[in-house]
Amino acid sequence: MSRNYPTRPETGVLLDVEDLATGFKTGRGLVRAVDGVSLKLDRGKALGIVGESGSGKTILSRSIMGLLPRRGVVRAGEVRFEGARIDQLTIKQMRQYWGKEMAMIFQDPMTSLNPLMKIGAQITEPLKTHLGMGRETASDTAEKLLVDVGIPEAHRRLNQYPHELSGGMRQRVMIAIAMACGPTMLFADEPTTALDVTVQAQILDLLEEQRRDRNMSLILVTHDLGVVAGHTDEIVVMYAGKIVEKAPTGVLFSQMRHPYTEALLASIPKIEQPSHTRLHAIAGRPPDLVNPPTGCRFAPRCQYAQDRCRQQEPPLTAGDHPEHAYACWFPVVTGGFDRPAATDATTDSNVAVTIGGLR
Amino acid sequence: MTLITDTTSMTPTPLDVPPAAEPLPKRSRSKIHVGFWIALAWVAALLLMAIFADQLSFIRLPTAAVKNHGRSTAGYKLGPGWNAWFGVDSTGRDVFSKVIYGARTTLKVGLWSTVIGLLVGTFMGLIAGYFKGTYDRVISIVVDIMLAVPPLVLAIIIVYRVGDLQQDRPGNPGILKWFTRTEQITVVLSLLAIAPLARIVRALTMSLAQRDFVLAARSVGAKNFRIITREILPNLIPAMMSVAFTGLALLISAEAALAFLGFSVETGTPTWGKMINASYRDMDKAWWATLFPSLVLFLTVLAFNVIGDRIARHYDIREAAL
Amino acid sequence: MAGTGTAHLHTADEALLRLENLVVEFPVGRTGLKVNAVSGISLDVIPGETLGLVGESGCGKSTTGRAIMQLPRPTSGSIIFDGNELTKMSGDSMRKVRTNIQMIFQDPISSLNPRRKVRDIVMEPLMIWEVGTKAERAAKVDATLEEVGIDPKRAAESQPHQFSGGQCQRISIARALVLDPKMIICDEPVSALDVSVQAQVLNLLEDLKAKRNLTLIFIAHDLAVVKNISDRVAVMYLGKVCEVAKSDDLYARPTHPYTDLLLKSIPVPDPTVKVLATKILGEIPSPVLPPSGCRFRTRCPFATDICAKEEPQLRDIGGEHFIACHHPIEHLA
Ligand SMILES: Nc1ncnc2c1ncn2[C@@H]1O[C@H](COP(=O)(O)OP(=O)(O)OP(=O)(O)O)[C@@H](O)[C@H]1O
Ligand SMILES: Nc1ncnc2c1ncn2[C@@H]1O[C@H](COP(=O)(O)OP(=O)(O)OP(=O)(O)O)[C@@H](O)[C@H]1O
Ligand code: SF4
Ligand code: SF4
Ligand SMILES: [Mg+2]
Ligand SMILES: [Mg+2]
Repeated sequence: MSRNYPTRPETGVLLDVEDLATGFKTGRGLVRAVDGVSLKLDRGKALGIVGESGSGKTILSRSIMGLLPRRGVVRAGEVRFEGARIDQLTIKQMRQYWGKEMAMIFQDPMTSLNPLMKIGAQITEPLKTHLGMGRETASDTAEKLLVDVGIPEAHRRLNQYPHELSGGMRQRVMIAIAMACGPTMLFADEPTTALDVTVQAQILDLLEEQRRDRNMSLILVTHDLGVVAGHTDEIVVMYAGKIVEKAPTGVLFSQMRHPYTEALLASIPKIEQPSHTRLHAIAGRPPDLVNPPTGCRFAPRCQYAQDRCRQQEPPLTAGDHPEHAYACWFPVVTGGFDRPAATDATTDSNVAVTIGGLR
Repeated sequence: MTLITDTTSMTPTPLDVPPAAEPLPKRSRSKIHVGFWIALAWVAALLLMAIFADQLSFIRLPTAAVKNHGRSTAGYKLGPGWNAWFGVDSTGRDVFSKVIYGARTTLKVGLWSTVIGLLVGTFMGLIAGYFKGTYDRVISIVVDIMLAVPPLVLAIIIVYRVGDLQQDRPGNPGILKWFTRTEQITVVLSLLAIAPLARIVRALTMSLAQRDFVLAARSVGAKNFRIITREILPNLIPAMMSVAFTGLALLISAEAALAFLGFSVETGTPTWGKMINASYRDMDKAWWATLFPSLVLFLTVLAFNVIGDRIARHYDIREAAL
Repeated sequence: MAGTGTAHLHTADEALLRLENLVVEFPVGRTGLKVNAVSGISLDVIPGETLGLVGESGCGKSTTGRAIMQLPRPTSGSIIFDGNELTKMSGDSMRKVRTNIQMIFQDPISSLNPRRKVRDIVMEPLMIWEVGTKAERAAKVDATLEEVGIDPKRAAESQPHQFSGGQCQRISIARALVLDPKMIICDEPVSALDVSVQAQVLNLLEDLKAKRNLTLIFIAHDLAVVKNISDRVAVMYLGKVCEVAKSDDLYARPTHPYTDLLLKSIPVPDPTVKVLATKILGEIPSPVLPPSGCRFRTRCPFATDICAKEEPQLRDIGGEHFIACHHPIEHLA
């Protein structure tokens, strides 16, 4: 695809985030949505960010993109994109990056498209404003983009409104819009959560294909480890605003060390298990980010928690693989080993008390 | 002039809002703007003065002639000052006191017509939006017709006809004969409020009736009356309150406009519109007699608009968080 | 696929619920066209069983669930619940029957009235039917809330938005349970939840089912979820049933091409397993003008001429496994 995109190096670090923190000032106090996150992403690679609802995945990706409001938001840390600091830039300066360098697609394809604008107009707009294309060229490019994302009868679709398309088609259009200016990095924030499994599989394939074709980096945000397993090179697991484990995808699944990652994986129903297999639910829910628990933030729900966990916060330590790191005092060893006996730590929340009795 | 200026801020959020990220034990309600409190204070002060005008010593009777050094002040002899804060009008009456007594009538007419409009409009909207079908078609036609006739023209025709019936031919058995003129104006103004309210309530009801909690209520055996009163109506109230305040602002200006055109309540009862009407020709020699009633009218309309707008935003924020 | 036929049904007195040739159509504006949401499906549920209903968005799963409740009444077909023909029942007797069948919905937020206190929401069914005294009602509501893991005290003073999605779903379950129904229709109760909460809710449903001897219809689009909770699964496509089998058997021997496709779409939490290419798939056709013959033929890799001409009927392939396809996938025994 030789459109008028600038030439770029093929490899190397594209994004470097260091100690990023984002908090919201609220009536109850400071909500520490992202609390000291560091990560690196190479060109052309895909990074998965996984965690439960409220763990700060969305806020992290928006902080990186500079898409958060300035008022009432406390930020710290550094974000480097192609080697340049972008965390201090003004909105006006960030516009240089949005669309052309970084683009984002959202969970809900219903609300992220403008219902009153034709599909064609929504795709050509960034082409005209960012790349200075003429009307004809823009419309041709838009059609090509729609073909690229697998929309049949692309030409006719240009004149349709979002409500005339199915959810899956709308998400494809969103991807086409995000691709319009040939970004170097794409954020996909739960791009398939609102969709069916069949459509989800199609959209994930499409994202992967686009990434390879364009040597684009992808950050895939989701709560489902199943979604990232087949479509990312590296995975970051977040809990309560912090990274609890990060590793290359293969390493994470084969040498999982953090109890939270293990619990997330265990809670997914597996198709190969017989029906009525009891699922390992994580009791309770993520902590209040205004007053997170001292020590390990996962301790109130962790089945291996010890006194030490409740007093001292575990640092991110390196695993056997050089790119593997996890934050836990008593890490899990895949394949059975000498972990301290499970304690009654899970009985912390009211859910655990009542549901625990039924186990 | 329709009552509804901004319906987008009142539509309920779409059904597919993602679940709240985190259970919030106590969600702090969105901060209410200072403007809201100022508006509320203004309306409250006006209301209190209007209600207790007879008891408050600094408010004269609207019929009491103001004396300046023992001399009559008829013919705008006295400007704004300590003796008469807003000056006097052509008959030598205190403009400030008349504004307060005018507020009595104006607010009374505005409030009652809003209440009537709310009751009738909500009822029509609920029936049309909930039962749909024939009910909806009939009610929608009525509403469309009401909206199609320019409201002020409608009001003038009715008031003129009714006034005609009542004042000029006392023996005439007209339909609105047993109403006082104040009541006639109230009824006429409420007609202006019904159609827009019915339309909004209908749209909101339709969208609420599709929500799963209505289906859930039906599946446990709730009857229509219970669903309407328990499930739908409570969800309409914030939007209705907001519309009502905005509508109140418009009805007050409509009343003033009618009065300005000479269609108003009984002679002897002051309203802001009548005061403006009586003095605007003398603006060059006595600006105060026109300016102060206009200013109070403007501020009151603004205050109601601010209140309505703030309520809408307040509940929108909350609903978006649901 | 997408076949018609009743070969897979149990005898009438074995089943708690039996749908026969259920058809639900919706008019498209005033065009005279209609949405064929459900086109002649037959299903049954035996007491104490969990029947899973899977299929893509728009295939008529929710419509089937609602048709059972007569909300709205189906276009044609018969629905027999506990020996009573529901489609012929008067509105008032239907209100009574509905207390024995309850529903849980997909969107935890939309299914609870945002302006009522949670405890009142759960109390509502008891108020409508004026069950017991005030104290008995309160005790029952509190017990049910405890049962689903919600603190009754908090429920008494909070509105739904003060609870998380998973908790709202528990509240919905409590409301469905409070009248002690025989059957619960769960319409995608976990699709809007994240995996950890999904596991909590699925476990809760399993426990409640065992404890209260409930019969469940469980609707979802994720076959892995459906398999986990169901005894038997019916796969739906564009208003028709294409395959019915015991859950484990369906996974071991997916015989209908569509079932196979659904199975392959499940994201596997294992990077060594590659999800198969799904490109050929395309989109589900419109239910307004569904394809002739087998409705799956426009996307089926095995479709031949006969698939366009003749609609396949559900037939027994042994081991309580039924399928509607002209060219089923062969499995080596
Ligand atoms: N504007 C805001 N003001 C205060 N708190 C906020 C704000 N936005 C987000 N939060 C809080 O920050 C935390 C992280 O939110 P975030 O949206 O990043 O979670 P997430 O991991 O993306 O979850 P989900 O899966 O639900 O999208 C949550 O606890 C949320 O309540
Ligand atoms: N009230 C209605 N009026 C018109 N068409 C309807 C109505 N309800 C459902 N439909 C249509 O009937 C078809 C089946 O819808 P249904 O909601 O049963 O699908 P579903 O399988 O539950 O899908 P989902 O997974 O999206 O919930 C769809 O094409 C839908 O658009
Ligand atoms: S540090 Fe302790 S509480 Fe935290 S995850 Fe590890 S074992 Fe669990
Ligand atoms: S092979 Fe024919 S009958 Fe079977 S699913 Fe495919 S199209 Fe339908
Ligand atoms: Mg998010
Ligand atoms: Mg549905």
